[in-house]
Amino acid sequence: MNSSSKGTPYQLETLWVIGCLCISVFPQLLSMPLSLVAIALLPVGWRLLASFRGLKPVPMPVRVFATALAIAALVSVYGSLMGRRAAVSMLVLMLSLKLLETFSTRDARIVVSLGLFVCATQFLFSQGILMIIYIIICLLSSLIALMYTQRREAYEDLGEVPRTSGSLFTELGFGLRLMVIAFPIGLTLFLLFPRWSSPLWGLPEDTLDARSGLSDSMTPGSIQSLFMDDSPAFRVKFEGDTPQNSELYWRGPVFWDFDGRSWQISYFSHNLFAESKPDAENAPFRYEVQMEPTEQRWLFALDYPALEPRKTDMTMDYQLLSQHPVTQLNTYVMASDPDFMDTPELEQTLLWAAIELPEGFNPRTASLMAEWRSETKSDAAIVQRALTYFNQEQFHYTLNPSLLSKHSVDEFLFDTQEGFCEHYASAFTVMMRMAGIPARVVTGYQGGWFNNIGSYLLVRQSDAHAWSEVWISGSGWTRIDPTAAVAPSRVERGAMDSLEQRRHMFDFEWMRQAKNTFDLFQRGWNNWVVTFGLDQQSRMFSMFGWSFIDSTRLVVAMVLIILLITVVIFMMMPWLLKVRSAQKQDPLLRLWYRFIRKLEKAGFVSNPAMAPMELAAMASGQLEYKGDGIARIAELYLICRYSRESGNRAELTKLINDFSVSR
Amino acid sequence: MVLPFELEYRHIYILPTKFGWGFGFMLITMALGGLNFSNNMALMLVFLLATITQLSMFIAHRNLSGLKIDSIKCEPVFCGHIAEFRVYISNGLERNRFAVEAGFTDPEACMDFELNSRKSIQLRYPALTRGWLQMPSFRIQTRFPLGLFRSWSWIFPQTRCLVYPSPAINAPPLPKKGHGEAGAVSKGDGDQIHGLREYQPGDSLHRIAWRASARHDKLYSVEMETPRGKACELDWGLLGGNDVETRLSILTAWVVAADHKQLSYSLVIPGHRVASGSGANHRAKCLELLALFSS
Repeated sequence: MNSSSKGTPYQLETLWVIGCLCISVFPQLLSMPLSLVAIALLPVGWRLLASFRGLKPVPMPVRVFATALAIAALVSVYGSLMGRRAAVSMLVLMLSLKLLETFSTRDARIVVSLGLFVCATQFLFSQGILMIIYIIICLLSSLIALMYTQRREAYEDLGEVPRTSGSLFTELGFGLRLMVIAFPIGLTLFLLFPRWSSPLWGLPEDTLDARSGLSDSMTPGSIQSLFMDDSPAFRVKFEGDTPQNSELYWRGPVFWDFDGRSWQISYFSHNLFAESKPDAENAPFRYEVQMEPTEQRWLFALDYPALEPRKTDMTMDYQLLSQHPVTQLNTYVMASDPDFMDTPELEQTLLWAAIELPEGFNPRTASLMAEWRSETKSDAAIVQRALTYFNQEQFHYTLNPSLLSKHSVDEFLFDTQEGFCEHYASAFTVMMRMAGIPARVVTGYQGGWFNNIGSYLLVRQSDAHAWSEVWISGSGWTRIDPTAAVAPSRVERGAMDSLEQRRHMFDFEWMRQAKNTFDLFQRGWNNWVVTFGLDQQSRMFSMFGWSFIDSTRLVVAMVLIILLITVVIFMMMPWLLKVRSAQKQDPLLRLWYRFIRKLEKAGFVSNPAMAPMELAAMASGQLEYKGDGIARIAELYLICRYSRESGNRAELTKLINDFSVSR
Repeated sequence: MVLPFELEYRHIYILPTKFGWGFGFMLITMALGGLNFSNNMALMLVFLLATITQLSMFIAHRNLSGLKIDSIKCEPVFCGHIAEFRVYISNGLERNRFAVEAGFTDPEACMDFELNSRKSIQLRYPALTRGWLQMPSFRIQTRFPLGLFRSWSWIFPQTRCLVYPSPAINAPPLPKKGHGEAGAVSKGDGDQIHGLREYQPGDSLHRIAWRASARHDKLYSVEMETPRGKACELDWGLLGGNDVETRLSILTAWVVAADHKQLSYSLVIPGHRVASGSGANHRAKCLELLALFSS
């Protein structure tokens, strides 16, 4: 038997397996470099060609060579095979290469199962609400592929595979119904299955490629792409009132080292820890932050954070640094005190670090600052003068500033005079240092969108911001936001309102609003599904009055509920698993079967081979039925079936509905 | 087992297939990963898959339960040939069934059942000794819907197949002497031309005597005849010097040959004697005697 020449049934099954594979690896392909995507798609293309042209499986040496090539490509792209992204990419490539030898039922099943595995690994990267649709599509296509494969397996040695009655809809409908039945049980398992309080082995620690968010260095112009990104950075639920927009400075990376071009993290700011903290008890702001994974170590909090979440350190410049990169949704409780005095006494080494500048940059700014210094004595006055300078001169707030070259601060201050927060913060900090005032750059987020329905604050990537802090004797480190001097609306109402142009073609106000409102669902999803764990389980049980839960209790409850659901499902099974066939769709036949069923209930033993009249005669005899009801129905059925008159259908329906055997 | 026989839950066994075990192992791996990384989406996927796996076990069982083995028929065969058992299976009105396989060891047939339908499958088993061949137990199984579980049921039929001795290949020619009336003729189909008669609707076109028809302006058909051969006596005693099985084998070959030539023949074996006769029933009677002969 030549399977490739058999035509549609064999191809259909192969096509589903290939389709299933493509669906499972699709999200992964989107985040893989193009070269690897090409490698992953080649075997898929070849296998498709093979099924249409009847090509033979690729010989062993070629497969080994292709595998070696793929691994080499992986190593050259990721540097190693370790790490989440590389490991999953490898799985994707190997799965795709498996297609080169997938010609048997066994291989087809391996491909489908591993496709489901890849589908699960996808959730290491994202657990967004839309992923539920992805799960459903993945499951359905796998079920259909497995059903077709099973059919091929059963019929393979016996010649052609007959199609199930009708079309794909038989399989699709069956798969859907399987899922409908499976869902309540799956949900029960999900809610009650005992969770581990701590992981048995390490969480993934490697950071991912090009994840959006703030980075560990700041070059003016570099967070430009963040302004285009409306994806959520974190969500905050305040206890009590939400502070004013102009108070919402979410502190992130703090930069001390300037090399003339970009700001870098300094060693000491990551390794010296805060000596004093605000008093958490009396902090005016108390809130809970639900932070999206950033692959970085920073946690965000309002100035000045008073609490250290678990496995998190507070550095001497009040950054919250997690001990591990944030690779999963992270929820923490925080309190902040904006009136806390940061570092009343600045140590000499830190003072040096805060006024240090590289030699040979920005001479024009240096001379301007020297001039100001000679005219103004107090530090505070110089700060004020700089802010006035930004406000009075023709500075513009724009997301598309001209590019700057070596003397970036000079060019910005005197030539282009346009930019966004990074430019202002960087220039201002350089100016202060030139005037001998300790200054540093702080990046983070500013503002947020208050969701009235969920009453929480949504902070998006596009709310990224940069500002300065100067150390002034007597008041410690003080926040100065030069951007506010140029575009006050940036701080009062948010980044979007301070722009004169749309950021991109599809940047409409209503769309942003819709996105912000939709975030409500994502947040609910995060709260109820993504972060569901031991705590939520015990909270759920406390609703039923059980204050204490243990695994045994969970398992008992789980088994009981599943038993209950199974009983319900068992009763609905005939309906749920009914497979529509062409035969069943004929209403007349259905009617006739209903009649036979009635006879069978009364004790008649029918035989599928019997003709209607014969059956009627036998049934009348067996059931000792007097009268001609049975014979009449059989006769009418035959008329409806074989003659062109159709008016009798109603009568037949009525007769069969009213029929009962009374003995 | 007495037929008709309906498969009920207590007759049906179920176990995971190799693929089922592998799939289960994969699910456990995924569940461990999901629990460890407290990745709830992965866990949800695993739970859904586990439930579907469980359901597929139930469906595999259900795919067999309620099938009815109506009857098993089997035509006698010669020793050395393949006995073909025809098994009639019927499905009631509850449900459609898919990919139901049947076979003695490996599945030999596979079928779908519509509602209220009846199908037959042919199971083949080599007939190696003459006499009664007890039909071995066979298996009805299904791996529907996903191939994760195989449910099966053993059927122990009481059906036997009559196995005639194998006809000797180089059997001596049929014995000539006999007592039958020679010369009797059976008209109709045969291979010698008997005469002409008027054409009747239904006569084969090949039989039309075109030349005669042309002469008489009427269609004439050729009538054929078969000479009824002389009756011969197939006697055990003629085959002295051979062992029992060889004698039976030669006698069988003679019966087959005589029947083929439409001779009338009688059979004599120790303890039995079949009077002269011909036709399918006569042949079956003779062959059965030979098949069941025991000295």
